[in-house]
Amino acid sequence: MRIRAERDDLVDVLSRAGRAVGARAALPILQGLLIEVSGKTMRVTGTDLDVTVRTELEVEVLSGGTTVAPARLATEAVRKLPPGAVTFQAEAGEIEISGGGPVFRFREFSAADYPKLSEPVLKAAVAVDGAAFADAIGQVSVAASTDDARPVLTGVFFEAEGGKLRMVSTDSYRLAVRDVPAVEASLSGLVPVRALKELTRTVSAGKLRVAVGDREAAFASDRGVLTARLIEGSFPNYRSLIPASYPNRLRIARQALLEAIDRASLVAEDHIPIRITLQKGGIELSVTRQDVGGETEHVEAEYSGEEMTIAFNSKYLNDGVSAIDEDTIVLDVLDPLKPGVLRGGEGDDFLYLLMPVRL
Amino acid sequence: MGPMNRPRTFAERIAHVDMDAFFVEVERLRRPDLKGRAVVVGGAGPRSVVASASYEARRYGVHSAMPMIQARRLCPHLVVVVPDHAEYQAVSAEVFSVFAEFTPLVEAVSVDEAFLDIAGLRRHAATPAEVGERIRRTIRLRLGLPSSVGLGTTKLVAKMASRDAKPDGLLLVAAGGEIEYLHRKPVRALWGVGEATHARLEEIGVVTIGDLAALPRDALIRRLGGALGGHLADLAAGIDPRPVAPGEETRSISVEETYDTDLSDLGRMRRELLAQADRLAARLHHERLLAATVHLKVRYGDFTTVTRSHTFSAPVATARDLYRTTLALLERTDAAVRPVRLLGIGASGLVAADAPRQLVLTEGAWVEVERAIANVRDRFGHSAVDRASLTGEGGDDGRLPGSP
Repeated sequence: MRIRAERDDLVDVLSRAGRAVGARAALPILQGLLIEVSGKTMRVTGTDLDVTVRTELEVEVLSGGTTVAPARLATEAVRKLPPGAVTFQAEAGEIEISGGGPVFRFREFSAADYPKLSEPVLKAAVAVDGAAFADAIGQVSVAASTDDARPVLTGVFFEAEGGKLRMVSTDSYRLAVRDVPAVEASLSGLVPVRALKELTRTVSAGKLRVAVGDREAAFASDRGVLTARLIEGSFPNYRSLIPASYPNRLRIARQALLEAIDRASLVAEDHIPIRITLQKGGIELSVTRQDVGGETEHVEAEYSGEEMTIAFNSKYLNDGVSAIDEDTIVLDVLDPLKPGVLRGGEGDDFLYLLMPVRL
Repeated sequence: MGPMNRPRTFAERIAHVDMDAFFVEVERLRRPDLKGRAVVVGGAGPRSVVASASYEARRYGVHSAMPMIQARRLCPHLVVVVPDHAEYQAVSAEVFSVFAEFTPLVEAVSVDEAFLDIAGLRRHAATPAEVGERIRRTIRLRLGLPSSVGLGTTKLVAKMASRDAKPDGLLLVAAGGEIEYLHRKPVRALWGVGEATHARLEEIGVVTIGDLAALPRDALIRRLGGALGGHLADLAAGIDPRPVAPGEETRSISVEETYDTDLSDLGRMRRELLAQADRLAARLHHERLLAATVHLKVRYGDFTTVTRSHTFSAPVATARDLYRTTLALLERTDAAVRPVRLLGIGASGLVAADAPRQLVLTEGAWVEVERAIANVRDRFGHSAVDRASLTGEGGDDGRLPGSP
């Protein structure tokens, strides 16, 4: 196998595929990138068996073939060469990377040892706008858990809902639901949030195709394909968690609320909740920490409902308010022990539900 | 303002109070026939260890943590009493209420020992030793239990002094005399010196704390790493700025069990852990506490011990949460491939259940069920309610009944 390509193009395809290669791979071979050259194309694959990224590049093919190169070394070697054309070849157990004078040589992994990965299934894929999808992932991923003890909660649940693609996540303290316009969505599955966070750095582009199959989710663009093994298990019945009606509604300026939370958070670390007293004309926001001190302030807002005091974890509250990209925020509450629901004053495509802290 | 020659606080402001052979002495209160005899408290199984040994038993070389078989061999007429931890907890609470009458600055180390900051008692007693004797006398008069007190300028010195004061005595290491006192002690007596560190120090000829203090700090840090090396260098130089930290009466609660024969069946291990999670949850409920962190302890057949822990984003108390987490931790051990001798679950990062508490979206049903179970247990004892999977063998896939 022997190809020639521009240094920067080569770094791009190698490093994006390399993002799926784990720092501590379970098998030595998984520290490698699979490189397949045929026709005019070089295909690069990186995987940790849960997440796989495939990229490809049109190159000058001097001879075709397949090799597995050490991911980090090969990528960094190409990156450190002088700008211009780079020659990449594999022969007799050795990988040679050269350009502009310097020559790197690395031991080749045996391509026969590389795991057989199933081809991405994109038949039933739906098309979405890449930028909007990336925003949506940013909004729902904050509520996903990073706690491996409960794998189901480390996923984002995808499902079709009224002609839209719906994504839901929860760490059992808060829940985020986001709908994305999509054509003919018909899919369902739990996609690891870790894989979704890699999308923008690997294959996300203006147009993205999304497919969720029985075992894998696939995301494809002209920059490549990311596949992720679905998390097994059933996602909590989130619909039953969302209250049907709210007698008490607050409308408040997002920026003013964020600034107030930021001030309160100075004191509110370590699970100390922020107390919010909802009353006509606005909210009284306060935080008190034993042995330290506290902060209080009034933020003007519209409130209709019963006067009450409810407390939230400052980080969870901040995550939710930050995720809503509108000038006005709506907070609906039932009582101080029931979930509060945050959403935008205008849009109805995002909802963030959070459980209060019992005082 | 007092006279010039009377400082307002004691230099030797830290008292370490340690109950003597606590479990044994509590048993002797209920069973006077045990007085004067070689007695240990410990389990009855073939693999039990000694939890507490009377001084009569210690004369035969019996000490706590020793396998019961060995203890019986050393002392054939040994009387073995099965532990009653509920009783020890209750008596411990009375001991701590004595401490609280002297000072609010009490830091519990375990059920039977604590550090007290007695600096504020200057106006009530002439010397620290007088305070120490009054504490000992009060415990003796009110509870009938012997205790020992160590007094010094730092926690390290006070702790070592109480050990030297035993049994039923008091030792004050005067300010200025700490270095001389410390340097005669074996290095093993320092906190932070376990077996591995001890071996590394022995290799370079360090036997006493004095030897350690003679080493250049840099050399120690190079040998043991920055954190431990620096810490030990400080301790050896008598530097121990840690204050008595009250308000942490209960730092952790744990349950564990050594099995008569090694376990190699994962299903059995899961059932054991389910039972332990249940007991731990019951104790948390009883103490009105929530746990931020859960620990799993696994000792393999060859005595090597590993622990794994997990910290929750919000503290928990239900057996379900403890159990589910413990199962995940078990997967991070070699329990599937190595025989297991001991299993244990611990809870730490304990906070009061009535402290502000993050509510959970899906908890509703489960918390109510477990609270109901705990209330039944409080009234009727632990065996009144058991989970279905604990009452029979087989059929247990490691999940709680009713879990999704």
